[in-house]
Amino acid sequence: MSIKQKISIQTISVSFVVSIMIIILLGILLNFTTQFQPTLGSDLLAINANSTETANAVTSVVTYFRGFDTLGEVTILFLSIFGVSLGLEGFKEKLNIFSYQNTLLKIGVDTLFPIIILFGIYVIVHGHLSPGGGFQGGVIIASGFLLMFLAKGDDFSINHKILELVESLSGAGFILIALLGLLVTDRFLGNFIPIGEVGELFSGGIIPLIYIFVGIKVSAEITALLEYFIRIKDVR
Amino acid sequence: MIGLIILAIFVSMIILAIFIIFNRDLPHSVILFMGFGLGSVVLFFLFSAPDVALTEAVIGTGASSVVLLVTLLQVRRKERKR
Repeated sequence: MSIKQKISIQTISVSFVVSIMIIILLGILLNFTTQFQPTLGSDLLAINANSTETANAVTSVVTYFRGFDTLGEVTILFLSIFGVSLGLEGFKEKLNIFSYQNTLLKIGVDTLFPIIILFGIYVIVHGHLSPGGGFQGGVIIASGFLLMFLAKGDDFSINHKILELVESLSGAGFILIALLGLLVTDRFLGNFIPIGEVGELFSGGIIPLIYIFVGIKVSAEITALLEYFIRIKDVR
Repeated sequence: MIGLIILAIFVSMIILAIFIIFNRDLPHSVILFMGFGLGSVVLFFLFSAPDVALTEAVIGTGASSVVLLVTLLQVRRKERKR
């Protein structure tokens, strides 16, 4: 096959569009920190900081003002993994995990895996200070495990029983904190831990605790989901 | 200036979406879908929603395309001509 056959007009135009997008993305990210001027955000942040002492207003909406909705979302995720494992458990012995057994990929993933896990933990723990939080960090950790599956194949196995135990315990921890809040402050998901200074790591009362539980739960669930979904019939 | 950038991203996302729909090679479509997700990451970021941008970057561009590609390995690669 010659080069002329391989490269069509569509390929060229699409790669042009995608490269322009990447250039724009990098330019925006470089410009953002110096030139961005928040307009409406500063007023909202002032209101938010007085009531919950978190630097990230989205987090306080998700886990504090609308914490009950977050509990519902977490329940939906639990139901989805329950349904998937109910449906696909029988196929587990017949199918193998899809993977490229490639030395370069294996060594690269061995190097990248701890960094990705560390970044996910950072995103979860700093959820009340910077963009991100339990869901995002949990999915980042799960994507690290996905890389391990793709590189190692059946050599890297996870124990579904332990995953489900971890997931259930973190969900129970979420509800336990919510019930403690109900006991102390007469409000479901009420804040019973003293709130510190805005911008400190240990601040925001129960918000970081809830996000840590959500992060553990989401990472366990998405890892189990992906482990079920990336199985194929025969390994090449 | 930033409005022009947003408009350019919108137009390129529409072009990418047309390519995704009319491409007969399904794995190519999935790769283009990742490019589409990249465009929406930029848009979410520009519309002051970095939390959603982070989620879209991880789920829309990473995890869902891997699942789609593994699914496509099990089925026919090319779409049937009508």
